Amino acid sequence: MEGIIELHDNIMFYILLIVVLVCWMISSAVVNFNEYNNHFSMKYLNHGMVLEIVWTIFPCLILLMIASPSFILLYLNDEVVLPAMTVKAIGYQWYWSYELSDFLNTTTNQTIEFDSYLLNDEMLELGQMRWLDVDTWLYVPTNTHIRFIITSMDVIHDFAVPSLGIKIDANPGRLNMTSVIINRNGVFYGMCSELCGVGHSMMPIKIESVNVEDFLSNIMEY
Amino acid sequence: MTTMLTLALTMHGYIADLNLFFIELLVLTSSISLWVRDVITEASYLGDHTKAVRKGLEFGFNLFVLSEILIFAALFWAYLHSAMNPTTELGLQWAPLDIEKVEAMELPLLNTIILLSSGATVTYAHHAWIQNSYKGAAIFMAITTLLIVIFVALQFCEYFFALFTIADGVYGSVFYAGTGLHMFHMITLIIMLSISTIRVTKRTMSQTHSLNLDTTIIYSHVLDVIWLALFVLFYVWV
Amino acid sequence: MNNNFLKQWILSTNHKDIAVLYFIYATFAAMVGTSMSMIMRLELVHSGDTFLHNNFHLFNTMISAHAIVMIFLAVMPALIGAFGNYFMPIAIGAQDMSFPRLNNISFWMLVPGLILISSSMIIESGAGTGWTVYYPLSGILAHSSISVDLVIFGLHCTTISSLLGAINFIVTAHNFKGDSMSMMDMPLFAWSIYITAWLLLLSLPILTVGITLLLMDRNFNTSFYDVAGGGDQMLYQHLFWFFGRPEVYIMIVPAFGIVSMVLAAYSKKNVFGSVSMVYAMGSIGMLGFIVWAHHMYTTGLDTDTRSYFTSATMIIAVPTGIKIFSWLATIIGGSIRFSVSMLFALAFLVLFTLGGVTGVMLSNASVDVAFHDTYYVVAHFHYVLSLGAVFGIFTGYYYWSPIVTGLNFNKNLARIHFFLIFVGTNMTFMPMHYLGMNGMPRRISDYPDSYNAWNEISTFGAILSSLSMLQFAVVVENQLSNGERVTNDTLINPAYTFGNTIASETLEGHSNNAIEFNSPAPLAAHMFNTPVSKFVTYVN
Repeated sequence: MEGIIELHDNIMFYILLIVVLVCWMISSAVVNFNEYNNHFSMKYLNHGMVLEIVWTIFPCLILLMIASPSFILLYLNDEVVLPAMTVKAIGYQWYWSYELSDFLNTTTNQTIEFDSYLLNDEMLELGQMRWLDVDTWLYVPTNTHIRFIITSMDVIHDFAVPSLGIKIDANPGRLNMTSVIINRNGVFYGMCSELCGVGHSMMPIKIESVNVEDFLSNIMEY
Repeated sequence: MTTMLTLALTMHGYIADLNLFFIELLVLTSSISLWVRDVITEASYLGDHTKAVRKGLEFGFNLFVLSEILIFAALFWAYLHSAMNPTTELGLQWAPLDIEKVEAMELPLLNTIILLSSGATVTYAHHAWIQNSYKGAAIFMAITTLLIVIFVALQFCEYFFALFTIADGVYGSVFYAGTGLHMFHMITLIIMLSISTIRVTKRTMSQTHSLNLDTTIIYSHVLDVIWLALFVLFYVWV
Repeated sequence: MNNNFLKQWILSTNHKDIAVLYFIYATFAAMVGTSMSMIMRLELVHSGDTFLHNNFHLFNTMISAHAIVMIFLAVMPALIGAFGNYFMPIAIGAQDMSFPRLNNISFWMLVPGLILISSSMIIESGAGTGWTVYYPLSGILAHSSISVDLVIFGLHCTTISSLLGAINFIVTAHNFKGDSMSMMDMPLFAWSIYITAWLLLLSLPILTVGITLLLMDRNFNTSFYDVAGGGDQMLYQHLFWFFGRPEVYIMIVPAFGIVSMVLAAYSKKNVFGSVSMVYAMGSIGMLGFIVWAHHMYTTGLDTDTRSYFTSATMIIAVPTGIKIFSWLATIIGGSIRFSVSMLFALAFLVLFTLGGVTGVMLSNASVDVAFHDTYYVVAHFHYVLSLGAVFGIFTGYYYWSPIVTGLNFNKNLARIHFFLIFVGTNMTFMPMHYLGMNGMPRRISDYPDSYNAWNEISTFGAILSSLSMLQFAVVVENQLSNGERVTNDTLINPAYTFGNTIASETLEGHSNNAIEFNSPAPLAAHMFNTPVSKFVTYVN
């Protein structure tokens, strides 16, 4: 995510450069060349080979300067080297279902699977956020390479947690994968990001990350 | 008129009566035929089709054919999208597990030969026409029409005896969509060929002004090429 | 009397009458679309129970219908159908379009389109799928009512209309030019319509196939997109966006043409580098075909695929930049007269640049991970469409309506309109950038409380924008009932055409750029009854 923010700021610099340039040119044209102080237009000023070449090359250079960090970030995002654990997020209409199948409860022979529903207004406690808090949320350890596998059981949903820099479509019949390393303890929210029907706004995602030791000791409570 | 077309089509799932649909088809066909009759009248009898207008009509028709080629291109895209990477639901193979595909070298090969022959006869007719041989042109246009009618009839047979339907998974769907759209265009081609043949026999076209014939010939050649591509991709490569 | 009315307005083959019909239709559809967007904004004014009382399906229906009505029934008919039909034949010296009856059918196919799309909202529950109508949500399981089918048929109608119109425009451009005019001599507006027509011709068939296969999947139990039968939902997205990408260029390229004409006319200079402008429009059009998957970055495409589409999309920025810089060079050195259409054109320059640069931001697949399906995207395309194409429509209206109707509009009322729409639309869409950066997703009907502030400002701006539409209606009504007659003096005033005879004749092709202004207004029903051999601008 920090990479995205940095890239965004990088690109914003060039964007602001261009926008300011264009606005400056327009305002200088309007101020200097309006009909009240410039009665004669320079009507033969219609071609300019050098100028046209310059303003073709100049955007190309800017694009190249935007593209290089962009591609670096894109390929970096794709590196899923050795995930330590896998979380499956399955989209339903209109809730998420998570499965942490790496952990097997030897007594009951069950892995961790649960559904995550939005808390509606009556069920909210003080301090919880409307439209974002859920009844059971995802616990993951920090500083661990986690692989998310996303799919859907009915229509297209989108698993998005902006603070972690992930957004992947949940396509039915298809498994999409992304990876995350969370660097700090905390709670991260997200919302479903692909129109999935009436309850599209009612499928938030809540991920809480804790220390690895706390995670492993609390995993039994599932 | 066109409202009826679309409204009628939408009702097909929702009103259990197909009569409105047939009425609408009647309206559509009659309006198209009246329009075509108008165009032919303006051309042959009123002399409205100057060289510039003919150039325009031919160019316009070519553009229309281009858009039709793109429709088929999209269908080929759909076919290849599913065929190049068969999913697990299909048994990871194309043709999918348990679908008995149509043998490429039987009926489809005959159809291909028929279409290629019709291409040859229509070229003969065209050259005969250019060299002022009305009789040769008329005969070979008639033969071409007959060949296309046989093609369509054989396609009907193939559809009748096929062992899978359009609802049989993605294979059936893209197969029937592609070949079905082609057949629908072939039926249109039959109509166009018949009109051209009649106009050739009745000598209502001249050497320099034979727009109907030219456009029909182009249409048949294009449909030929599309069939060849269909044959290779949908039947042989499977 | 009855027979005449029927012949002139229902069975018309006159491109001017058909263009007027298109414009009235587009205005009507724009009102419909604006009201839908108002409903959406009123629902989103703050979090919690608001306008629609939690009827979220209605909200989703409003979203989809707003987009479809605005794109297919308002902007495209106004730019291509109305302005293109009216002025392209005049611009090239043709009497009419190449296929007049086809022109008529193109217009009348739009009426069933509107009826079908409206009925899709009224009958049963409405199509709440988004204008992109993605598959499983629009499939028979998730949307089992007839509404999606009606939308598909409505889109079929509009597709046929645009396709036939495109063939008409291309043949007219090639075939019907005056004797001395080669392709390169055509005015820029004619070029923009010509390029748009090619884009329409090549992209609409793909949409037709995509939505027809969707129809068959819904009703005939086929499995083109259905995973259970071995199909792939991604195929729909590919087919749709292969059309969708050129579609947005179809909407903006005519506006480019109009803005070129207006900027040149009101700075009394010819457009800088008109040949490279033509090439820029052409390359924008062509490049538009190879970049479609930048709408699908998060669907799980391969990384190499995403990097290709990133680079291809960024390349489109180059010809667009050339155009903007050329326009700047047109007005610099000119003698700018601030008529209302010039105000709109200047605003177009700034706002389209803003929208374009947010597009560059979105084109990077890595940044798009943060912005996909958020309000940042909504802000981007509304800047280029609502503040680009729509401003282009108004530019064209104020530029050409005096010679179409023969009546001048009231400049002060029109300036109020400009002010209202400029402030209103900016206030509506600028906060959406911030909402998107804060992570508010698109197409949601209610949101967490932290997004309240910007949403309220945005809704207030939307109210101002709808007031501006009312003001536009006031302007038009005033023009038609009280407008002062346009006389030859007001027209051939150097402020409307540019240059004197010497400049117009010696510079190649430039005498062609103000053809419509060299005839008495309102323009005659049949112009150029004898073929044009050479155009000469003359001043009384």
